[in-house]
Amino acid sequence: MTTLLVAKQILLTIYSKYEVYITPLLKFLLALITLSLINSRLGYMETINRATVVLIVALMCSFMPTNFIVLMGAVFVLLHLYTFSLECAAVIGAGFLLLFLLYLRFAPKDTLVVTLLPVCFLLRIPYVIPISMGLIGTPASAVSVACGVIVYYMIHYVTQNATVIAAMADEETAAKFKFIIDGLLKNREVVVTIAAFAITVIIVYLLRRMSVDYAWTIAMTAGAVVNIMVLLVGDLIFDMNQSLAGVILGTIISFLITLVLQFFVFYVDYSRTEKVQFEDDEYYYYVKAVPKVTVAKPDKKVKQINSARSGASRNTRPTHY
Amino acid sequence: MLNEERVVLMTKMAAFEEHEGKRSLDIGSYFRSDYISWQVLKSIISATIAFVVVFAMYIFYDFEIFMTDIYKMDLLEFAKNVLFYYLGTVGVYALISYIVYTVRYSRAKKNLRVYYMNLHKLSSMYRNE
Repeated sequence: MTTLLVAKQILLTIYSKYEVYITPLLKFLLALITLSLINSRLGYMETINRATVVLIVALMCSFMPTNFIVLMGAVFVLLHLYTFSLECAAVIGAGFLLLFLLYLRFAPKDTLVVTLLPVCFLLRIPYVIPISMGLIGTPASAVSVACGVIVYYMIHYVTQNATVIAAMADEETAAKFKFIIDGLLKNREVVVTIAAFAITVIIVYLLRRMSVDYAWTIAMTAGAVVNIMVLLVGDLIFDMNQSLAGVILGTIISFLITLVLQFFVFYVDYSRTEKVQFEDDEYYYYVKAVPKVTVAKPDKKVKQINSARSGASRNTRPTHY
Repeated sequence: MLNEERVVLMTKMAAFEEHEGKRSLDIGSYFRSDYISWQVLKSIISATIAFVVVFAMYIFYDFEIFMTDIYKMDLLEFAKNVLFYYLGTVGVYALISYIVYTVRYSRAKKNLRVYYMNLHKLSSMYRNE
């Protein structure tokens, strides 16, 4: 444990020292992974399905706001789908537009979840996101997680049925529309996954706010168990043929990842490092404020009760111990 | 000579200005009714665009049947139904927006009160020097 704590301290020092470089690097890596996964899954448009294009766009994302990665991801998906089938691009584009207009406008901070969730789905560890959002977010994060699930299943449906859609003749525009919309609306897996993830977010949130020892660990464990249970019950009711081992293994791996995240990220508050500039009449201030990593000490109070003496000492001088 | 207490206060205020404060200052520059009605108006526009998108998808979904039925159906009744759904969608969405932005406004005002209090404290620190 001491070694881990030392490692944590070293990481904090490194992060606060090189924060200017590490944040863009993380953004670059996230953009690179996201765009590469989109290209590997869809990859219909030759022009953007190149490592150089992905690298250039990822570099752009590294010095733009985080939401730019989401925008670029959406643009890549739509361009690929446009090359594959105009109808697919129209339906998925409409879906993206609805998500943006109706929800993401309210919670622009949660937009990253919509990108991270499909990425984690492809890495087979989607359960990391609802548990993490329960830990760091609010119950409203359940809606963001639901948006992420919808985005993933929209893309997943198109890739799974690519051969069927491609086999339809070009004139069958209406039939293609119907096939795609039917597939998206009647997909029970989406409903079950959204329900499982939303319940997980809310349970993790409620439990981690309880004032008991190890509230975070209890919340994460309960969230993981509830997630597995809801997914399996949904699987039994709707007969979705989900892989039982996949769900359990994925949840266990996600739980372990969240444990690491909790240890290295949540407790040290890396994200609260502040770099601010201001001036007054005499100086320019370039201040870097790094939050302290504090360990709560047990609060010991010594209370002396000597009521027997209080009456006796009324007429004498007070005695100091 | 640098005043340590002042630097700490200024840092806290600058950090607030950079993150939460930017939004709070923006919100605080409006009157309550102006801010909420402007946001609700934007929500109504968003909901209208979303409704048009969903309606277009609905038409395209059964485009051939719709085109054959259009001559038989009671267009006035159809328009009434569409209008009913439109008003319902926009109404519910506007109500949710109203609640969300009312809460946001009062939260921003509360943050700004603390910020202005710190500003006052800072100016009195300068005066006392």
